[in-house]
Amino acid sequence: MAEWKPYQIAAAGEIQNLADSAATLATTVKETLTLANLGMEAVKLVAQLQTINPLLIALDALAEEILSQLANLKEAGYYYLFIDPYYLKNVAAEPAFTYGFEQLRDEAGRRLFLLRNSDTGEFEQRTESGPPGPFPTQAQLDTGEAKPLLATPRKIIPGGYNPYEGSTVDPLASISPYPQFTTKQVIDEFTKAFDDKGDVPRYKALKNAPNKTGTIVYDTTGTPYSGWDKSKEFGLELFDIGKDQEDGSVIKDFKAARRPINTKIAAGKPNILGQTEFDGGSAAIAIIIAAPSFTVFTDTFNAFSKMFSDIPEMAASTGKNLLDSFAEILTPNPITIKLTQVDTNYGKFEVGDVIGGHKYGGQAEITEINAESIVATSMSTRKTVVITDDVRRQKHVTIDVDANPDERWIDMEVTASPIRSVDGLNSFIVGDDVYEMEKRGEGGNDGTDLFPVYFIKGQHTTTAPGTNRIYPKCGKVAMEKLEVLPDSTPPDFGGIQIKDIIPGWGAFFQILENFVKQLQGMITDSAAFIQDMIDTIKSVEKFLEDLVKIIEEFLEFFQITLPSTGVYALHIPDQNKGNEGIKSAIKSAGGLPDMAYAAGVLFVGTEISGTNPIELLADVLKIS
Amino acid sequence: MAQEWKETEIKRSDVTGLLENTKKLAGMYSELLKMKRKGWENILEKQQKAEKEENNG
Repeated sequence: MAEWKPYQIAAAGEIQNLADSAATLATTVKETLTLANLGMEAVKLVAQLQTINPLLIALDALAEEILSQLANLKEAGYYYLFIDPYYLKNVAAEPAFTYGFEQLRDEAGRRLFLLRNSDTGEFEQRTESGPPGPFPTQAQLDTGEAKPLLATPRKIIPGGYNPYEGSTVDPLASISPYPQFTTKQVIDEFTKAFDDKGDVPRYKALKNAPNKTGTIVYDTTGTPYSGWDKSKEFGLELFDIGKDQEDGSVIKDFKAARRPINTKIAAGKPNILGQTEFDGGSAAIAIIIAAPSFTVFTDTFNAFSKMFSDIPEMAASTGKNLLDSFAEILTPNPITIKLTQVDTNYGKFEVGDVIGGHKYGGQAEITEINAESIVATSMSTRKTVVITDDVRRQKHVTIDVDANPDERWIDMEVTASPIRSVDGLNSFIVGDDVYEMEKRGEGGNDGTDLFPVYFIKGQHTTTAPGTNRIYPKCGKVAMEKLEVLPDSTPPDFGGIQIKDIIPGWGAFFQILENFVKQLQGMITDSAAFIQDMIDTIKSVEKFLEDLVKIIEEFLEFFQITLPSTGVYALHIPDQNKGNEGIKSAIKSAGGLPDMAYAAGVLFVGTEISGTNPIELLADVLKIS
Repeated sequence: MAQEWKETEIKRSDVTGLLENTKKLAGMYSELLKMKRKGWENILEKQQKAEKEENNG
């Protein structure tokens, strides 16, 4: 279930590091400016000072601007709701398929039917054409003139033939192998989140909170409340009465004197002082990333996540990064399967063979065979033999028998690349029969997100006379081995990330700090000291040069905007109907196409002193 | 009237603005440092010259 959370621009993730570093740089520069004056005076460089002074003033103003820019961004608080069916999976994407009978297909993947010959009354094999029509028509199927050529023995599979509904349309043509979450579902989740009665702000008592039940406590504005109980959660940030000021009994500044007695454990849905059903002003920005194809969706969503790495859920540090997460869906990690009772009468499995689990539907292409693992299957059994002695007394003896004396059956360990089928990725379960598979065409969501369709090799010959039958290689799953994961692919946007800059900045601040210390301690004009000072300045200059280069590279990424295709935004300006107003505006907004893959984020801001922080966010994101 | 979803080019003007300013700050600070270095280099040169003259004298 998606949850509401608080958000401040540039207050989390890598962008916070960037913002903090910018602030430190600005502060350090400001400090060194004052000292720069002192330093120059000490060595009586008055002429130099005259040139430097205007630059100092400009630098001071710029540093001040950076600090105030950051303060403005950090003061504006929002609630955000992140709907992500693929990475965080806080909502469930659904595979879009129905079950039906396995139907045979020709080599191009077209379904096979049987059509009654009106002259002979015999059924003859025909390939479907269309859709729509001309073969088979619903009327032909309804009258029994045509019927599907189903696999023998019958098997229910995902995306199989449904005799009751849409029988004339190939189900695989509209199925995607990737789980789907549509734009409509994202909208539903956005609106549902406003209805969750239990999603309210929650605050838990701190250790230092008053133990005495019923103690009068205070909210942020200083309004007193009764009913305090340390063991319970409340919907408000609360404070104690605070300590007296140093001069006596009167509390002059209650904000400075008070101590918080509880801490937020859940932000809850947008609220004003804990009240989620309010009529006050609230505004929102909703962004939906949507695409008709999964691969396009992953590209856009990945770029979006990089751009919003200050949303904690999108920060690369949160467990597995987004790209890895998608890569796992698109290109699953290889698996190692131990096969047993591989019947050499039908051939040994080889690299390039596609194998399929009969009952559980796992499919994979063999990429490697462990030659050392190939041994005869140990197939011992026991049988009772009767031994008759010379006086015809009989003795029943149980003996061990090797059931695989000619080593017809072998064990082998194969490494294989899993194949995503209609119902996604399936495991190879111990005991399942494994057969060699053959490709019969492709399925796909209206021509996109194509996936290969595999059948057991020779499946179409199971009813043919013995001599015409084709037998697949076969074996059984002995075990699926745990595979060590390959190294993750690092996220890559133009080859640079904010976090790549940060360590460099740390070193820079160290140099600056030392520089400041040197200036502070400067009372001498000795040659050694001056040389030292010149060297330090040179190193700082070099560092600043590098820093500018890094920033330029980084700016290149941020100046490339997200592609407008696939990113939809809705700006709901400040309105006075609170959460209900936002909800109905989201529901009634038009212009959003229905797409199969979608994720979204909704920012909500509540009005504070007549202004709504959402306007700042709209300005920052350039959403009109 | 109901609002409309729009295909939008999302930008992060906060991040770009911050980076632009930081870049400017770094550039200007470099200028300042260059001037200061020049100043110190002049002083050092003068000192060394004076020392040389003293030694020669």
